[in-house]
Amino acid sequence: MLSLLFKKDRSKLFFVSVFLILFFLSGCASHHSIDSEPSVVEVNEQEIDPFEGVNRKVYSFNKVVDEYVAKPISDAYIWVTPKIVQTGVSNFFNNLSDINVFLNDFMQGKLRQGGLDTGRFLVNSTLGLGGLFDVATGFGLQQNEEDFAQTLAVWGVPQGPYLMIPVLGPMTSRGIPGAVFDAAANPTSYIGFGVPLQFLQMLQVINARANAEGDLKFINEAALDPYIFTREAFLQYRKNLIADGELSGNEDDFFDLEDDFYEEDQNESINLDIDNKPVVSKEVKVNSAPTLPVISPQVEEVDIDEQIRQVRLRLKLRSTRVENTVFE
Amino acid sequence: MYVEIGEGVLNLFKTGKLIIVFFILFFGFNISLFAETSSELNVQKNLSAKEVVLTFQNELLDIMKQGKKLGFKGRYEKFEPAIVKSHDLEKVARIVVGKEWKGFSEEQKQKLTEVFSRLSIASYAHNFKEFSGESFEFLSEDKTARGGFIIYTVFILPDDKDVKFDYMLKKKSDNWMIINVIAAGVSDLALKRSEYTSILKREGFEALIAKITEKIDNYTNQ
Repeated sequence: MLSLLFKKDRSKLFFVSVFLILFFLSGCASHHSIDSEPSVVEVNEQEIDPFEGVNRKVYSFNKVVDEYVAKPISDAYIWVTPKIVQTGVSNFFNNLSDINVFLNDFMQGKLRQGGLDTGRFLVNSTLGLGGLFDVATGFGLQQNEEDFAQTLAVWGVPQGPYLMIPVLGPMTSRGIPGAVFDAAANPTSYIGFGVPLQFLQMLQVINARANAEGDLKFINEAALDPYIFTREAFLQYRKNLIADGELSGNEDDFFDLEDDFYEEDQNESINLDIDNKPVVSKEVKVNSAPTLPVISPQVEEVDIDEQIRQVRLRLKLRSTRVENTVFE
Repeated sequence: MYVEIGEGVLNLFKTGKLIIVFFILFFGFNISLFAETSSELNVQKNLSAKEVVLTFQNELLDIMKQGKKLGFKGRYEKFEPAIVKSHDLEKVARIVVGKEWKGFSEEQKQKLTEVFSRLSIASYAHNFKEFSGESFEFLSEDKTARGGFIIYTVFILPDDKDVKFDYMLKKKSDNWMIINVIAAGVSDLALKRSEYTSILKREGFEALIAKITEKIDNYTNQ
């Protein structure tokens, strides 16, 4: 869906570049503002979201723009347009984005999925009357989510810092070239399909915003800190897409371990052994890693935060190995 | 014109409905002050990790089926025992505030546990209002390195893509209890933990409690 928005209008790249300049200028300053020794969580957050100060400002800006511009237009669209038309519009844009999906399937070496997704596009473009009807899903060909940012991840490009882009929303730095490619691979960047190009692109944006209405309402209701909520959900969801749903469990074992440290009345020895069994789902094989540092069992003599930091590092290393394994 | 706020959010999910359902699902579990008393009565003896998850899912679907008739209050009352007996709420409470837990007074720990509990139950009651043919399917199970279980299931929506639901369970005394739900790759525990620790760090304990209470009021009064 994110890529949907990018595809339609290259003028957005202007915002991207402006923002890039902005955050590079301001980012350096914010980096040195923390004096005290950061905790485990803080270390992690600084790695992931080094520009949180700027990002939060942009997030607030986006929120205002959404409230006063995007949401009213989207609400009007939902109110005026019959449900069946809305579905048709959604299907139409989804179908065009399927071109990008199968291209990225092939670039990631997923030949079988690429074949199926190509079939999905062909079926919907013909039997589905130019994509207005999603008949392929009825045949068992559900839409997959692939884009160039995922392909870059598979190719080994690091995620980079989390960025909140004005007007566009969350992204990582890896997502920027991803968005450029996705835009280039979508026909709505070039062809109006019988209507003025600008009209089609605007409809695409409104459609995307309308489809997100439920999600945004949910976040609004549920999030205590919508900025963090959005960031975490976005990053985790993207990570899961990249791994095609095959990662799970590492973080939970870390939380559980940490909880053992902090739990009251917990004086017994704590099981630090995280390597006696793979923590991932069955389909993924984890390489054994004899070279990882061994953690000292003398809990009381070593700083707890340091212990946790080490375990986290090991989990992270292993998680990286798992990712690599998945993609090989 | 091309304004999009939750654009990342857009990205997250294909349709509003799907997202709502799953976000909520994993958002719903939490801590309960009532855990101590009610768990004594309701604890599910000798159930396997898989059985704990399947039982909870069935109860969830049952409440959804009667959702309209029950109203918010009725759903809240049904969800409370179902959540309390199957989730290690105290552990979740500790985890979501991370190392901050150490610094809390007894009173603060209790307060936090109590409001968390009410928020979790209220969010289930608010979000699972009705039933339209949803179901769960068990996929597989796996042991984790530290002796936990992960139960892999999928949530089947009649008009939408299936959503993967992974449950992480740890043993508490002799019972398997859920400590996390990972929906479509998004971990409830990790998400909450980031939110709560960030608020504690930036605004402090009282602000966190105030935000949680406000959410509960919103759910109750809608």
